[in-house]
Amino acid sequence: MQANKPQNFYKNVSEALAQPNLKAIIRRTTDKADAKRAEAVSNFPGFENARTQGQKIKDHVIKHMDHYLAEFEKNAKAQGAIVHWASTGEEATKIVMDICKQHEAKKITRSKSMLGEEIGLSHALDHSDMERIETDLAEHIIQLAGDPPSHIVWPAMHRSREDVVKLFRSNHKSPTQSEEIIDLVRSARRDLRTKFLTSDIGISGSNFLLADSGSSCTVTNEGNAELTITPPKVHIVTAGIEKLVPSMAHAVPLLRLLTRSATGAEITQYITFHNGAKREGDADGPEVSHIVLVDNGRTKMLADGMEEMLRCIRCGACMNHCVVYKHIGGHAYGSVYPGPMGSVLTPHIEGLEVANKQTHACTLNGRCEEVCPVNIPLPKLLRALRAKSWSKKYEPITNRFVVSAYAMLASRPKLFQLSSSMGVVMMKLFSRKGWIQSMPFTSGWTSNRDLIAPESKTFMQQYKKQRKSSNTAEKQQ
Amino acid sequence: MMNTKDSQISDKKVGLFVTCLVNTMRPSVGFASVQLLEEAGCSVEVPELQSCCGQPSFNSGDDEGTRQVAKQVIQHFEHFDYLVVPSGSCASMIKKHFVEVFQDQPEWLTRAEHLASITHELLSFLVDICDFEPKNVSLDGSYTYHDSCSGLRSLGVYEQPRKLLSSVEGLEHKQLTASTECCGFGGTFCVKYTDISNAIVGEKTENIVATKADYLLGGDMGCLMNMAGKLNREGHTEIKTLHTAELLTGQRPEAMQNKAMENSGGNDASK
Amino acid sequence: MNKQQEAISRQKIFDAIKQASPTAPANIDAIQKEALELLSLNEDARPAALHDDPSIALEMRVEKGLVIGTSCERIATLADLPNAVKTFFAKHKLPKVAKVQETEQLQSLDWNGIGINADIIEDDTVGVCLAEYGIAETGSFVVSSSKDMPILLNFLPLYLVVAAPKSKVLAFMDDYALIANDIAKQGTTPRNICIISGASGTTDIEGVLVQGAHGPEFLHLVIVDDL
Repeated sequence: MQANKPQNFYKNVSEALAQPNLKAIIRRTTDKADAKRAEAVSNFPGFENARTQGQKIKDHVIKHMDHYLAEFEKNAKAQGAIVHWASTGEEATKIVMDICKQHEAKKITRSKSMLGEEIGLSHALDHSDMERIETDLAEHIIQLAGDPPSHIVWPAMHRSREDVVKLFRSNHKSPTQSEEIIDLVRSARRDLRTKFLTSDIGISGSNFLLADSGSSCTVTNEGNAELTITPPKVHIVTAGIEKLVPSMAHAVPLLRLLTRSATGAEITQYITFHNGAKREGDADGPEVSHIVLVDNGRTKMLADGMEEMLRCIRCGACMNHCVVYKHIGGHAYGSVYPGPMGSVLTPHIEGLEVANKQTHACTLNGRCEEVCPVNIPLPKLLRALRAKSWSKKYEPITNRFVVSAYAMLASRPKLFQLSSSMGVVMMKLFSRKGWIQSMPFTSGWTSNRDLIAPESKTFMQQYKKQRKSSNTAEKQQ
Repeated sequence: MMNTKDSQISDKKVGLFVTCLVNTMRPSVGFASVQLLEEAGCSVEVPELQSCCGQPSFNSGDDEGTRQVAKQVIQHFEHFDYLVVPSGSCASMIKKHFVEVFQDQPEWLTRAEHLASITHELLSFLVDICDFEPKNVSLDGSYTYHDSCSGLRSLGVYEQPRKLLSSVEGLEHKQLTASTECCGFGGTFCVKYTDISNAIVGEKTENIVATKADYLLGGDMGCLMNMAGKLNREGHTEIKTLHTAELLTGQRPEAMQNKAMENSGGNDASK
Repeated sequence: MNKQQEAISRQKIFDAIKQASPTAPANIDAIQKEALELLSLNEDARPAALHDDPSIALEMRVEKGLVIGTSCERIATLADLPNAVKTFFAKHKLPKVAKVQETEQLQSLDWNGIGINADIIEDDTVGVCLAEYGIAETGSFVVSSSKDMPILLNFLPLYLVVAAPKSKVLAFMDDYALIANDIAKQGTTPRNICIISGASGTTDIEGVLVQGAHGPEFLHLVIVDDL
């Protein structure tokens, strides 16, 4: 599947809506996630307090980002890690690729990382002579299918069991003949097991960076991160600078929020903190440890008053609960991060001019903010991006014209009332049996639904007339 | 004073902000609002100089346009004790978002903050501030309720309409599946992304039809027009869509299509 | 990428942060104080404990089926562990071979009749190890890397039996994290700390939970009263 582009959003949306079973495919995952999240929240009376605590922890780090970055660097180096800095995605990818080349690596195992996708690492590895091996089951599936991820937690949610059967049969060494999900998982287990153990370099992302120890934290259900990181000689972490927290004790409240919000689970099975290189005498572990700290638009968010977005812990709850995402799916957004959080992040990564259409693909209904575990005001941020896009004149000229004309009228009440009554007269011309099925300039509405026909006069006209007659009646008395 | 009962409500002047959609598309909601507020003991005034709350500008990112629209709303309503709006999203615009566009204009910011403090959505105002209970209203039938997003999430309107409707004799409530999920209206969204909006409202009407309720009620004209328009396009004329205020007046409620039909003959009496 | 370019990028990032937050940089003491205060918000932001005794709470959690693929039992002393492992073999109809962690405490036990040096590279093996801590809140055990503890012992076997001292079963995740924070202060954080809460699982194919994705399919927690 060819990756969509964010600038082709309209086309992507049409294609998504034309896909007959897309809604069912999406709901299979999001409905379950929504229900399980609701249950997890109702079983946790302290959830609101936890949210406040989580938000405050993130805000504290955002406020003192430079301090914590320096702390992290110092402590990671003290444990033998090599710390790298990248201000762009290209720089980050180049750093990783150079390390791989330096070690003459042939096989690279990877544990799922959205940042890795963001900086284009998959693409770079695929265009090298190294073999990229995705070890998260979902990433494994979409790697075999050649798909981009469609969700940040369930990147292969768009693929059915039947798809997986076909993919595994044509790609696994000793594939299963069964179509049972358990046997498919076993088939992947067998196939990936030897790859884990023979990999030259393991690459992971990080859910949290602990400033006090210089550790990076991985969170998985499968245990693939540890199997990716431990056997190879070299471990490379790529992490966004917003992943910092002061210490493990500060990561804990965020972990409580993360898993409940993502999958509805109270905890994920594997939370592992990775700290520098293997110590002398250690039974296993990588001998070399690299950490690449990536900006790629994050400091731009700080500068643009979008710092609340840096709270994001990538749980995916906003997309699971988004009416738009639930109808068009992740691929339509054309970017690594879909849904509400993606519509805020992507303009900072790929540029607002490229991704401003997504900021409008939102009814501002506020559901995403309501479920966000760290209280990110997503609708407010999306609206702020629209305002920026407006002031930069990225909006289509026709939209600008219509909206400006509206403001001109609406700021002049007399004129507005006059044009409203004229509008009513116009609409009456097109109404049949109380409804308007089509009329000029309303196709946006009437292509899919009828428009109620107005009464013959506006409220104001009727009200004034009524007042006048009641006043006259009073005088006559 | 935000959501506490006002025991001197009869001494207070309420300015009704009609909203542009009620003004042009559904005047009966405006008259119902006036009637309910008066029954609740308020003295109601409808300023002639009013237009719209500015959502189209605000949601399109046109902050300067928003300020222009907001200024006239402030000017014409700030002298009231209360500004009441028969729409959650317009109330939320005035109450929550005007202040956002005046961050760099301290004088207007103060005035916007004052206006925010006196602004209320109609149904929650009737319950929370006026402690109003509709009397001698009866209607045989059943209703289902769509909770419009702005009213629900921005202003906390949920229990109030249900409480008001529970006073209507003979009226039975039928729970709408996903009643708090967006209907896909979203102001300019529904014309900008008409196909996505259509997919969303299609799912909403599916849930509405499944309730087998006689009436679909809500508190926001935009959403109601969206759902009623979709129901009509799908041929579900058995479900009558009404603004909650219309039903609560105790007049024989006429659904959107019937109301407009009756009046297409040139009869503009709406009471 | 050369070092010089990375140094420039580093500087760019720090400059951008300083420029974006024009407030004067707080002193380190003030930042630390603020960070500490954030932890005190924990009290009202944690799930309720199932029992006042953390080890009982942990057992209850497992028994309620809240910990994926996990069973639990209690033994008096570590000497009872080989028998517990035997019972586990019988339950899962497994040959009596395992990989027992190469630590004095476990190796010195009487493993009579049990092979203790299985090659965990093979799939379908049983691992037996000793956890440092247990956590009641999440049904977790904690292990960290050392010369005695290969991290892979917790991931490669299909079955895992883990013994944890009752006295080291903590009520909340924070309780362990505070211990880890102290270790970090001394600069002696191990290469890996793993908080493991149940068997390996995946819901990546049509949302259906399958145990044993890459790591263990079954996990057996053994709480040792006197250790």
